[in-house]
Order: sequence, then structure tokens, then C-alpha cells
Amino acid sequence: MTESGFTVDVDQNEYLPEGGREVSAIVTVASAADAAGLASPGPAGAEPDGSAEIIIIDCSGSMEYPRTKIAAARAATAAAVDVVRDGVLFSVIAGTNLAFSVFPADGSMARADASSRAAAKQAVAGLRAGGGTAIGQWLDLARQTFARYPARLRHAILLTDGKNQHESSEQLAATVSQCEGFFSCDCRGIGTDWEVKELRTISTALLGSVDIVPDPSGLAADFEAMMANAMGKQVADVVLQVWTPQHATVKFVKQVAPTVDDLTDRRTPSGPQAGDYPTGAWGPGESRDYHVGVEVTPAGLGDVMLAARVKLLAKSASGTDVLGQGLVRATWTDDEALSTKINPGVAHYTGQAELAAAIQEGLEARKAGDEETATAKLGRAVALAHQSGNEDTAKLLAKVVDVVDVETGRVRLKKQVEDADEMALDTRSTKTVRARK
Amino acid sequence: MTANPGAEVTCPSCGAPTAVSDSFCEACGTELAPPMVSTAPPGYRAECPVCSVDPEAPPSAITAEGYCESCGRKVPSGRDHSELDLGLLAGVTDRGLRHTRNEDAMALATADAPGGPVAIAVVCDGVSTSPRPDDASLAAAQASVRALLTSARRGDDPAEASLAAVQVARQALIGIGSPGEAPSATYISAVVGSDAVTVCWLGDSRAYWLSTGPDTARLSTDDSLAEEMVARGAMSEAEALASPQAHVITRWLGADLADPEPHVVRFEPPGPGVVLVCSDGLWNYQPGAPGLAQLVLPAALTDPLGAAAELVKFALGAGGMDNITVVLAPFPLAPFPEEPPHPKTVPVQRQETLPRRTPP
Repeated sequence: MTESGFTVDVDQNEYLPEGGREVSAIVTVASAADAAGLASPGPAGAEPDGSAEIIIIDCSGSMEYPRTKIAAARAATAAAVDVVRDGVLFSVIAGTNLAFSVFPADGSMARADASSRAAAKQAVAGLRAGGGTAIGQWLDLARQTFARYPARLRHAILLTDGKNQHESSEQLAATVSQCEGFFSCDCRGIGTDWEVKELRTISTALLGSVDIVPDPSGLAADFEAMMANAMGKQVADVVLQVWTPQHATVKFVKQVAPTVDDLTDRRTPSGPQAGDYPTGAWGPGESRDYHVGVEVTPAGLGDVMLAARVKLLAKSASGTDVLGQGLVRATWTDDEALSTKINPGVAHYTGQAELAAAIQEGLEARKAGDEETATAKLGRAVALAHQSGNEDTAKLLAKVVDVVDVETGRVRLKKQVEDADEMALDTRSTKTVRARK
Repeated sequence: MTANPGAEVTCPSCGAPTAVSDSFCEACGTELAPPMVSTAPPGYRAECPVCSVDPEAPPSAITAEGYCESCGRKVPSGRDHSELDLGLLAGVTDRGLRHTRNEDAMALATADAPGGPVAIAVVCDGVSTSPRPDDASLAAAQASVRALLTSARRGDDPAEASLAAVQVARQALIGIGSPGEAPSATYISAVVGSDAVTVCWLGDSRAYWLSTGPDTARLSTDDSLAEEMVARGAMSEAEALASPQAHVITRWLGADLADPEPHVVRFEPPGPGVVLVCSDGLWNYQPGAPGLAQLVLPAALTDPLGAAAELVKFALGAGGMDNITVVLAPFPLAPFPEEPPHPKTVPVQRQETLPRRTPP
């Protein structure tokens, strides 16, 4: 590990045939396992901890059907509150077609200690369901609440059981873009009446996770885990800065492990030949892989070019720290044995990205009644999951299709599919397995 | 032993008389017959070969890793290709066609020693998997050649001087690493005197005696797994060369090998020939002494620089998979020139010197 506690490694085949333009590399970013080794850039400031947490609970009328949902939400929120570290600012928001501050009731944030946690749990125990669903309103209140306090790390947990019905999708999108880069948000859907695509849009923009909690009894453990994960984050606002040579284009930048997340369109220009891609906050012992694709102007045989320089930067109010960097190279050769060699990491993650897309497109087609496309796409997904050893995804697929031949991906759509199984497959389609090195 | 060795030499800079054992002129301080190292020549400034000739392009910076900040091209470094000519011996080192930098280094020196002229060559090949192998090889070669030159001028025993120089080289190489790092390199030195050649090595850079007669021979044995297999009769030389372990070395210069125990060999040439010191970038393509002799003789006897350049070209034409370094010293040594040779380095941009490989 370097002084910053981060390492950046590049895995690629740098050899291109004469005239070749496409350069592809897997960039692995890892943080030190030991929390003390991680750099926390900038001065600690006035905040003793610097973290702020908001839990947003859906209290729409449907949360009463079945009753266990609102009860589970109350219990899960209490479990999460228990994990909030002493000194961290926190609050709880209830959402309907409007949004309310539940604790503290005046819309402020409380500093966590034994008495504030007890008061929060008491307030949460009194939550009742009733009203509609306007997720944008909830996020907006969270944004305003966060904005009242300086903090280094802002994170929210959002729980819903339904679709965004009481505001337009444009309203929601506008609020999400206001929140982007300001706080991160993990989203959970309880039951099966919510929309995967809607929550995924929010969680992707806000650099968080999305998952289904089909059974209310599983919610408390999930909330606790999410909050514990958030408490472990130490370095906020980490970006990948990608420099490319003149006349070169970045074709894509994707996170490919632990989940697929396309960052290509989220580039912020940061210099004449550089752009920043957000990666969110990092805790100790994390490792994520990124697939970077660059198109360069070919040079002569034997020439070597720096096709991209990937810098890992931590941005804070006090400035920018370089945490590490990796170099992506291109070398032109007439040796076909070198230029035709496919890098195993690149091949693996290209397959994992295709797997995620095949599942999402297959489920979309299935919903639209296009059985032929659904069968083809989900079949392809079965074959890809099998080839890459992605067993979790293979198991989820087997609940939606009957597998005839796993090698070629010949499948039949199941006649009866549980909604929860289909939604679990959809939400978890982006989970990848690591490339073997 | 000459009766009055000091009287014949004068300082090339101020004309004051100097002793042959002097490293510097007592009058003006000029270094006498300084050693030459395959580093970037003084004043060499790396610039992008593409952007620097484009009148439209703004002046571009070169990154710490040696790339153009504008177009991204790897910029030729002063070490990619350099040629050293000291008259009594000459050498050429080249990056080759597959590596992005030249991790080989060579250092040459000549001395008008008490026992007659002496030619000294040191070649180091940085171990690619160690940190900063290019700096490591250069530091080792540079330190070693100075130690050998000083010993030669004093008239020390070449075998003892060679062993001492290995320690000097090892300290210099360790000195460039930060704590926790262990830069490493192969090492070979050859001290050519009037009656014998003393070779000292660690690793798989080699020395050969090349002549037209049956005395043509390899002077060093590799510290490599391949050589051990061949020595034990487990493999033929061809099989060993083809095996993936061929280049796994068993001894080297580095902080991670505490007591490296270098080999020393003294060889008395029976007649005229040439001493070749080289890195594996050459001998991979022609390991046999008779084959190498055919390639360089008789040209090397009279034009060591031209012959060394030819050998490098041969290795490039054969694939250039590794960095290539070739040093040639014709034997018997020519008389030491009246004026110390004017050292010459030739940094050449690759584009002009490298043959383009034709597809097979």
C-alpha cells in the first residue's frame, strides 16, 4: 500500500496491431484494510466526526398492507439508529406525498449519543402510515436537512414500497440531479409493488446500492448492515481522473466490480485533456474494478503511447489529494501473437457487463410480452453466468427460466414466476464476480 | 614494468605532465581518460519527436514516466540507444523492439596502467520485476567502472580489484532504493590487460572470447536455472533456452541477496581475437561462441564500434525481444593513444536507427 492507503493497478494487453485504435484496460482500485492507513484529506474542521446520516422511511398508506411492513420499517430504522456512531449527525424523515421530519421534529439533525438514539427510536415507534408516494419530496427534504450542517460524508438510506405516484417523473429527476454529488443514497424496495428501474436510477445517480427486501422480517438486518457500511466510509468524494492524449476519446468508463455501473456520461471536464468520474466514498478494505476504453490515433509500429493516465483523487473543501495513479499504454506491433492476445480481465468484465444488460433487456421484453426476445436474452444471460462462474446470478436466473442447455444458453421461460424473484434478478443483475488473476 | 611511466603522458587540457596512475591532472584538475557510461549525454533534453516538429503544436511537457503530455507518445530517452567508443574498446546498447525502456547499462574505461594499457567494460541488466531497474543497472555500472579504473591505474591485481568492484557496485545499487525496495541487476565486468582477460560476474550477462581458432569460447557461466539444468544434464542447451525458466537467475546484484559470491575467471588469449561482453538481449539469438565469432570477425579486430553496432542490428532483426548491450575489445589491445581518447556518445533517435521489422 502507498502512503495514501490506496493502490491503483492496471491490467491490459497494451499491444495493438498496425493501425489499431481501441485500447482497453481494467483498473483495480483498492484501499488499505487497516482504517488507520487511509488518508482522510483536509483538516477535520469543526465537526468532531464529519459524517451525517438520514434515514428516509416510506409512510404511504400501502405500508399498512400488510401491517408487517410499517412494523418492520420501524424496527429496521431503530436497528440502523443503534449503529450510528457517537458524534455522527443524524435524522429520520417520513415520506408520503409530502415529507416530514420525524426526528428531530424541527428538521434539524441530532448528534448521536445514547439519549438522542433513544429519543429517535421513540419517535420512530410512533410512525403511522397514510398518504401517497412522492420520492422527490423526500429526497428534497433530506437535501435541505443535510445542507444546514457542514459534513465530510453525507449518506442516506431510502426505503419505499411503491412507485413514485404523486409527482411527475420529471420532478423526481430534477430533485435527484440536485442531490447528485451532495449526498449518497442506498435504496431499498420492500414488497413487490415498487419499480426496480425507478429506484436504480436514484441509487445510481446518488452512488448507492439498490436491492429488494421481499420479506419484511429481513429488513432490520439489512438496515443495520447498510448503516454499518456507511459508518465505515472514511474518504469522501473520490474521483477517477482520466487523462488522454490529444485527439483521443474516452469511449467508456465503467465500474465493473463489485457491480456494473456505467460512469461514462458522468464525466466532469477537469482540464484540456482530462475528465473526472465520481466513485463516491471509500472505507477501508475495499476493492473495485473499472473498465476503461479509449480510442487513440494510431502511431507507427514499435511506437509506445500513453493511452490514458488514471489518477485517483480525493476532493475536499481544502483541495485535491492524489491518492494514486495507473498508466494505460498502447504499443503497436506486427507480432500477431502479441496483438491478438485477449486480456482475461477485459474479456471477463466485458462478459459481466453483457450479462447485466442481457438480464435487464430480457426482463423488459418479458414484461412487454415479447417472449422471443426474452428467451434469447435470458438464455444468453444463463450461458454468460455459467461461463464466468457467476453462481449467484445463475441461481436467480433459474427462478425465471427453465434451463435446457447451460452451455449454449437454451432456455424456456417459466410460466409462473414470483414477482419477488423477477425483481431480485433485476436488482441484482449488476452484481459481478471478480476476474481471476 | 616501465622505468619511468609518468614522463610520457601530458594533460590533454593544459599540457602539464601527469603520471599514468593519476586520475586527475594535478595542474588543472581535468579528469584523465574518464570512464564512459551509457547514460543520457550532458545537456540532453527529452522532447516529443512528433509534437516538437509540428509548428502548430504548443510546447509540451514530458511526464515523469517519459511520455509526451500532449500526444501521449513515449519520448525517446538518452538511454534508448547509445554508442560509446574509447578506441581500445567500444559498445552499443539499445532498447530493443519490445521493451518500453532500456534497463541495460554499460560503462567503459581505459587506462595507461603501469603494466601497459587496460580496457575495462561493465555491463548490467536491470531485473525488470524489481523497482527502477534502469536506474539500478546504471548506478551499478557507473560505480563499478570507476572502482576498476582506479585499481587499474594503481596496478592492482585484476581479480581482487574485480571482486572489490562488485561490492562497490552493490552498495551504489542499494543506495538508489528506498527502504523496503530491492532494486536488482545482473553484473559482469571484463578487465582486458596486455596478457589476460579477467571476467567477474553475477547473473546471466556474458563474456566470450571470439577468435578464428579453436580457442573461441564462452568465458562466463550463467547463474540461471537454465544453466543449472544443462550442467546437471537434465536438458540440452536448446531445450533450456526454450524453457520458461531460462531467464530465472539464481544470483544477482541487489539488497535482497546478502552475500552474492561473484565468479572470477582469468583467461590468457593464445593469439589475436576479440573480447565480447553482452546482455542476454544479444546471446538469446546466438548463444554459441563460434556463431558469434562468425558474425563479428574479422571486422571487430579493427572496428569494434562498427562490429558492436552490427551485432545489435542482428539482435533487432532477430526479434529484439529484450534490451541489447554489446561491448567489444580487440586483443591484443592497441597501444594507448598519446592523447587520451576523446570520448564519444551517440544518442540517436530510434526512428532513424531501427530497422522496421518485416512481417514474417
